[in-house]
Amino acid sequence: MKTFNYEITDPIGIHARPAGQLVKAAKEFQSRITIEHNGKQTEATRLMSLMGLGVRHGSTITVTAEGPDEEEAAARMLVLLQEIL
Amino acid sequence: MKDKIFGVLQRVGRSFMLPIAILPVAGLFLGIGGSFTNETMLEAYGLLGIMGPGTIIYAILQVLNSAGSVVFDNLPLIFAIGVAIGMAKQEKEVSALSAVIAFFVMHATIGAMINDFGAPDLSGATASVLGINSLQMGVFGGIIVGLGVAALHNRFYKIQLPQVLSFFSGTRFVPIISAAVYLLVGIAMYFIWPVIQTGINALGAFVLASGYAGTWLYGFIERALIPFGLHHVFYIPFWQTALGGTAMVGGTLVEGAQNIFFAELATPGIAHFSVEATRFMAGKFPLMIFGLPGAAFALYRCAKPENRKAVGGLLLSAALTSMLTGITEPLEFTFLFVAPAMYIVHCVFAGASYMIMHILNVGVGLTFSGGLIDLTLFGIMQGNAKTSWLWIPVVGVVYFIVYYLVFSFMIKKFDYKTPGRDDSEIKLYTRKDVNAKNAAGGEASAGGDNELSRQIMLGLGGKANISDVDCCITRLRCTVHDASKVDQQLLRETGASGVICKGQGVQIVYGPRVSNIKTDLEAYLSSPESDKAEAAGAPAAAAETAPAAAASGKAIVIASPLSGRVIPLEEVADGVFSEKMVGDGFAVEPADNQVYAPADCEVTTVFGTRHAIGLTTPEGCELLIHLGIDTVQLNGAPFTINIKEGDTLKKGDLIGSFDEKAILDAGYRTVTPVVVTNSDAYTSFRLLKTGDTAHGEDTLSVE
Repeated sequence: MKTFNYEITDPIGIHARPAGQLVKAAKEFQSRITIEHNGKQTEATRLMSLMGLGVRHGSTITVTAEGPDEEEAAARMLVLLQEIL
Repeated sequence: MKDKIFGVLQRVGRSFMLPIAILPVAGLFLGIGGSFTNETMLEAYGLLGIMGPGTIIYAILQVLNSAGSVVFDNLPLIFAIGVAIGMAKQEKEVSALSAVIAFFVMHATIGAMINDFGAPDLSGATASVLGINSLQMGVFGGIIVGLGVAALHNRFYKIQLPQVLSFFSGTRFVPIISAAVYLLVGIAMYFIWPVIQTGINALGAFVLASGYAGTWLYGFIERALIPFGLHHVFYIPFWQTALGGTAMVGGTLVEGAQNIFFAELATPGIAHFSVEATRFMAGKFPLMIFGLPGAAFALYRCAKPENRKAVGGLLLSAALTSMLTGITEPLEFTFLFVAPAMYIVHCVFAGASYMIMHILNVGVGLTFSGGLIDLTLFGIMQGNAKTSWLWIPVVGVVYFIVYYLVFSFMIKKFDYKTPGRDDSEIKLYTRKDVNAKNAAGGEASAGGDNELSRQIMLGLGGKANISDVDCCITRLRCTVHDASKVDQQLLRETGASGVICKGQGVQIVYGPRVSNIKTDLEAYLSSPESDKAEAAGAPAAAAETAPAAAASGKAIVIASPLSGRVIPLEEVADGVFSEKMVGDGFAVEPADNQVYAPADCEVTTVFGTRHAIGLTTPEGCELLIHLGIDTVQLNGAPFTINIKEGDTLKKGDLIGSFDEKAILDAGYRTVTPVVVTNSDAYTSFRLLKTGDTAHGEDTLSVE
């Protein structure tokens, strides 16, 4: 299991566009990728709940990947988050 | 706003149905038992020997009388419980218990206040409520409790308290808060209620001062008080005290309308029963035997044809109850709450009935109410010479016709949602709809709860493998059919600190928060969503990314939420929606700025910036309506959203509107993608229509 924290720097937070990109990326891996924020946890492949987390600018999210390709999955998620959020 | 009040009133009306269902039976008991155990009446017919006090028949009738009375005497409590059950969203049994507690606490509080500070200086203001000397609040007191407790229940039944107090979390908190709140309500009522009571008494005094007009007013007020359960407070003084007149009958002074009538009944040689007494009673006969059945017939004829059978049963039993026993509440309550205006008309007619009987010198009294039983005993059997009872059917036939015509006219003209005209009312009772409703309720409570419930369910080997679910203070205790299907690893991942399997019993240790977990799990298991989750994957596959909903095999049709031009998603050309990253669907270039619900659905999410709305259909299809492209940047300014999370919408309900000019001026596009965000759960997306489309037209078929 791979876990890392990430602080959101995007001024708006997780809205439709970045959420869509996260979902798309998360689906490329076999591992189960979850994102936790403020005590609520959801799978990164579920767009509506991802947006429903209410992640805003300055929040910290916890990303967890678990499965056969968890190394690559976590690395890819981190790169993507840095790019878009 | 108007729709909302209307919706709440309808639910209140529906929640009365459970307590009302007992009234006809209780009314029959009381009507038969009450009429035939009146000693004055038995004496008048010379029946004292056969069924007077001490005989077996009398004893049986007494039992009937008591069994009926106890229901009517405690109607306030029964309504408190019934309303609390009807208005609670889930865990209804808890709201029922809380209502009983709140009712006790409120009346005990009032009782103690009366003890300490004295009773209000009003006759008939206090009554024994469940043995407590409290204020006479009637059914109204029960409804205050029921509505308030249900509101508290819906607000708090999932509350999470800090760890130390977590034993009292969730449903266990509801009785506690109810008791506390109703202590305060009781104190407030001690001061407020006598004011209301004073108003009632003032009306009574006024009525007596005038003749025919006064009789009309008496009838009007008596009817108007029924919803508050206060009519007994009002008419009993007329029937039983000098307020209803005094008369010399057979050499003795008799007080009270009913007493005068029965004294005359028992005295030989009376030429005609005095109408000064029966003016307070006889008006019930045309109303209850003829008028209200006419109203019932109108309600029946105005119901949708497909609903008539179901509605007919309800109305027929209510009409028969009114005709036979003179118990009118079952019928009156079916239209009182959906069409208060009709009830006002009913009160006017009721007053007129008393007045006409007064003018026509009809001298028929009654023991209990104006049904056929009392008419037979005190009208027909006494002979027309003494009672002029023949006027009753004559006036009655006119009443039947007038009620039928006026009520039919009003229902159609104002489109009142009387029983059988509102689809949801009848449909509510089919199993499928109840399930769909539960699913909608489950969705409202954050996706996270359902996710946990889903994992627990799969960990236990799927829905079919779960025999029952219960919990103690720290453990979820389940019984499964096949222990080998239980996936302990998956269960541990749900946040459990331990899993214990013994035979068919599975205990999952969560700590004190378990009672909330159990509530969520039960709600989830009774929702159709759980069936879909199960279809999505066997327990082994569940650890991976199983979609929450899978193709149910039946096409779901989504309408356009806006009037405008429907285009395929690809043509949005924004790089996110157009690549279907969010999911499949369509987009609308709006021609209008009003947004409507594209299907029956529950509101899952309204984003803080109001530019996007998440909806879930009863089938579990998750929809995102994204108003414009990149409009999140506008921080909500151009958007007006009239709904909130947890609302249930019907297709075509108004969701909100947007300021098109503000969006365009800020440099953004108004094209609105409508996307199924759990697209993975479905295999086919078919556009039924492109180009110019009105809102509400079927646009997308999802399978």
